[in-house]
Amino acid sequence: MGRGAWDPHPIEEKMSRHDATRVLRRLAEVLRPYRARIAVALLLLVSQTACLLAGPTLVRHGIDAGLETGDAGALNLSAVLYLGVAFVGLALGRAVIVMVARVGETFLRDLRSSVFRHLLSLGMDFFEREKTGKLVSRMTSDIDALQELVQMGLVMFVQNGLIFVGAVTVIFFLSWQLALFTLLVVPPVVIASRWFRNASNKAYLNVRDRIGANLSTLQEGLAGVRVVQAFGRERAFTRRFYETNEAQYDANIETVRISARYFPVVEFASVAGTALIVGVGGWFVSADIVTVGTVAAFVLYLNNLFEPIQQLSMLYNTLQQSGAALQKLFDLLDTRPSIAERPGAVDLPDRGTLELDHVSFAYGDHDVLHDVSLTIAPGERVALVGPTGAGKSTLAKLIARFYDPREGEVRYGDVSLRDTTLRSLRHRIVVVPQEGFLFAGSVRENVLVGRADATDEDIDAAVAALGLTERFAAFPDGLDTEVRERGSRLSAGERQLVSLVRAALADPTLLVLDEATSSLDPGTERMVERALTRLTAGRTVVVVAHRLSTAARADRVAVVDGGRLVELGTHAELIAREGAYASLYAAWDSRSAMGKVS
Amino acid sequence: MDDEREARRAGWRLMRGALRSQTRWVVLGVFAGALWTGAKVTIPLLAAGAIDNGVLPGDGGVIWRYALAMLAVGVVQGLASGLRRYVAFRIAYRTETDLRHRLFAHLQRLHFAFHDEAQTGQLMARANTDIQQINQVVILIPLTIASTLTLGAVVVIMALHNVLLTLLALGCLPLLNIAATRFAHRIQPVALGLQQELGDLSGVVEESISGIRAVKGFGAERLQSKRLDHEADAVRERALEAAQLRSRFLPLVDFLPILALVAILWYGGHLVLDGQLELGYIVAFNSYVLMLIWPLRMAGMLVAQASRSSAAAGRLHEILATDPAIADHHDAKPLRDGAGEIHFEGVSFGYAGDRSVLDRLDLQIRGGEAVALVGPTGSGKTTIARLVPRFYDVSEGRVLLDGVDVRRVKLRELRRAVGIVFDDTFLFSDTVRENIAFADPQAPMDAVRRAARLAGADEFIEDMPDGYETVIGEHGYSLSGGQRQRLAIARAILADPRVLILDDATSSVDPTKEHEIRAALREVMAGRTTLIIAHRPATVALADRVVLLDGGRVTAQGTHDELLESSERYREVLAAAAAKEAATTTTEPAS
Repeated sequence: MGRGAWDPHPIEEKMSRHDATRVLRRLAEVLRPYRARIAVALLLLVSQTACLLAGPTLVRHGIDAGLETGDAGALNLSAVLYLGVAFVGLALGRAVIVMVARVGETFLRDLRSSVFRHLLSLGMDFFEREKTGKLVSRMTSDIDALQELVQMGLVMFVQNGLIFVGAVTVIFFLSWQLALFTLLVVPPVVIASRWFRNASNKAYLNVRDRIGANLSTLQEGLAGVRVVQAFGRERAFTRRFYETNEAQYDANIETVRISARYFPVVEFASVAGTALIVGVGGWFVSADIVTVGTVAAFVLYLNNLFEPIQQLSMLYNTLQQSGAALQKLFDLLDTRPSIAERPGAVDLPDRGTLELDHVSFAYGDHDVLHDVSLTIAPGERVALVGPTGAGKSTLAKLIARFYDPREGEVRYGDVSLRDTTLRSLRHRIVVVPQEGFLFAGSVRENVLVGRADATDEDIDAAVAALGLTERFAAFPDGLDTEVRERGSRLSAGERQLVSLVRAALADPTLLVLDEATSSLDPGTERMVERALTRLTAGRTVVVVAHRLSTAARADRVAVVDGGRLVELGTHAELIAREGAYASLYAAWDSRSAMGKVS
Repeated sequence: MDDEREARRAGWRLMRGALRSQTRWVVLGVFAGALWTGAKVTIPLLAAGAIDNGVLPGDGGVIWRYALAMLAVGVVQGLASGLRRYVAFRIAYRTETDLRHRLFAHLQRLHFAFHDEAQTGQLMARANTDIQQINQVVILIPLTIASTLTLGAVVVIMALHNVLLTLLALGCLPLLNIAATRFAHRIQPVALGLQQELGDLSGVVEESISGIRAVKGFGAERLQSKRLDHEADAVRERALEAAQLRSRFLPLVDFLPILALVAILWYGGHLVLDGQLELGYIVAFNSYVLMLIWPLRMAGMLVAQASRSSAAAGRLHEILATDPAIADHHDAKPLRDGAGEIHFEGVSFGYAGDRSVLDRLDLQIRGGEAVALVGPTGSGKTTIARLVPRFYDVSEGRVLLDGVDVRRVKLRELRRAVGIVFDDTFLFSDTVRENIAFADPQAPMDAVRRAARLAGADEFIEDMPDGYETVIGEHGYSLSGGQRQRLAIARAILADPRVLILDDATSSVDPTKEHEIRAALREVMAGRTTLIIAHRPATVALADRVVLLDGGRVTAQGTHDELLESSERYREVLAAAAAKEAATTTTEPAS
């Protein structure tokens, strides 16, 4: 917004020259497919700038050839040319905006698409390492920063650069002597602008911190108002707010002081420039070095020297931010997926034995599984049991190939999971997560995640197979019921049911279940149990069991502790052995019994 | 409609009142603005004079005199510019800061019932965005004054030379303002639409990443990517729509002033040829046109902003105009000395016009007695606890503390005499010590330690990284629910109240730990009146007497054992609470 406003997004630190070069080089690479369109946009921009800069020269011509010599025809010609140039400039200006937007927005769309695809291709280890919020911000705030640049900053940046260079060139062309004098006022403005940029950046960082601190006092004062009143501490707490509030004021006033010093310098330099041009120019006129028209043109060009310096200085932060955003995006794109398809990968067989063969795994330096071997026959139901952090969830993730083991191998039907196509793997082996996770959209869209090409008949059949026809019919709009963000419109139990239908539709031969820890109301709980029983019938099932009642119903129980498989056998066998499982079971049994009695 | 207009009017009054305290700064600001404008419009006149009286006749001395005059006026312009900017922003930030302080102080005094109704988020918005809206209008006022002065001065100067030229030159400039207004109007829905699409896009990203296990588990990467592409296309469409609008408006900002410059060159040039205008004024008028671009683009912004700001100020006024319902009575008396005897006499009460929670309740608690209140949800236990420190006023009957109606006691003394531990334990983002010493920040460290020990908190505090100086809360050390409750109890103990109220205060404390606290609590309870709201039989048994509540009335009283024996309802209530507690604890088998 021109002279008054300053980019309100302060930057933490400048990009190093090395990083900047790297990002620019990479950007040039990424922009290669768009280069023809970029060239056209640039050409348009140069032409538009030429039209803008033609004005003062035409005024000069009007004065020198028309007014000074009394030639009305020359004056008319100048005016008509000026008008013509203005119209051409208008048309070019429109074309520039549209063209830049087309190239920029297409580039951004492609960038969003490729970053997201790449993101989803990364392994689970990556998602467990990085915070969700941070990853989301790559796709949102980082790309949005680029969008802002495309929409406003980029055209302004290039245009202001062109105007400045163009204006300097033109005035040297008109009179290099007067131009040298005129440019005397440029260095102070450049220095002042740089000082202003740095000083106000620092001041705004401080403002941001102060606002944050003040808001948290405010927030606490509101959330804790009952405690404050209960202890009669209203005055003391108001005093505390007074301090953070005044600190915010002081920080704001500091930014005002900085701009109250900068803008006067620029305004004075502009006046001084005019005085210099008129004074020196007038002297040159009497010495016949320049014409009156040239002096007038110089006065008009002065504006084209000052505005760009200020604008460029203000755009600096936006550019820095975009650079930083690009750097983060490139870093993300450079992260290699830990799980990828090998060349010559084969499809996973339909049915087969699941074998974990001396499998070890670690998250970074933290060992989680040591040398686990386990064979699960087709159609068998195995429960993984153990304390939190024992490694049972990790074991389940290896079976679904969310990770590859450090050592050893996971095989299904004698094919190593490392050698299979990801598509067939995800088709045969399906993970049903703990909480029924739903995506925003209709129930239909959610179950189609299991199999994208399923018809409504297929869905109905899957629902019926799980005995849920009635429950699904009760949804307000049937399959078209919108579940809202993360399925918030459905109850926890309903979300699990939809998630089970999704699994049924996928029709896998191996199911990995992560049992829910939260409890549902008894009616829904029974329905989920029944649907689960039907879903698992005839399939190989690995279940991460949190309730020992689930373990008791499995064909075999595998007890994991400290990253090792410590016991394996049927429920009855393990109880009889009186080992780890038996004592877990005893503790659990008495605890749940206690809950019932009281 | 009328309500809204009234609210806006009240908003204006509020803003005027806030500005009135800064009259001297406002006068200084107007003065600086006028000086700045005067200097600014003089410069082109001097340039014109230099050309006409110096350059054209070839008089070097005159040229230098004009140039020096320009420099002198330039100094004035610079100084005035800095002053005007400083004053304008100072007034705006001062207004913002003062209003925010007033709002906060007022909110701290407003009664519980107000805070029950209001949402924290909304109050935050009042203190943040609404007050910023007011700041915005305050900044614009001096800017608009200066712009108007500039516009007026330029029009007068030009018209004095030639009216027709003025009309030709400035005639098309108001189009700038019209175009700017229209653009703002048309871009708004598109910009909102773009925001919406960006929101949808980030929704897909957010859920894909937080649901990455579901995405990977079903191999739904391709499906999600397609959804994202769909959203990214929509964003692109909207952004291009916005670009179309910008392309129609932004180039006009450059174009319209050029029309004015062409008019000056052509018509003004002919005037010069006819000897009706001096050449220097062609240059001066060019400068004037450039000078008016910003003021004209900005004209109208004040009107739009004023409408937003008065609405914001109206909302602010609404809060400030709410009087605290719980305040000292005009002849409020100091609290009488006493042992903490509490008497509820025929008390009826209901929240915000809801059905009655307490129904002509009579309850007498002797000084020093420990009474447990037991009853199902909604029976009025917590309400009784909150009427004693007068967080609410009764609708019928009265509550007496040591024989005096709590409405006649000085509020500050009453609150200091009654210590309460709430069921939702709110702690501040401060050190442990500051949290415990909340009632008395000057309390000696020994007292803080003693309070912590009695609340069973000293052990875990000593284990924290900086002990009592550890900062807890959002940006600090995070505590378990039970630990938070123990700190809240310590906080109440330190206040050394005559009456101690424990509202479900040990519900999150591990049953094994609660045993230790109970022993300490006995020590705390000695010599003061205690009201305990609890479900666990062992905690209830701490009380000398148990009062069973149902539907806002006392239905049975006696010791815990007596009631267990005699009251079927009592056994039911305790069993229901125990079942509820069992259902919410985890069934994870091992730890």
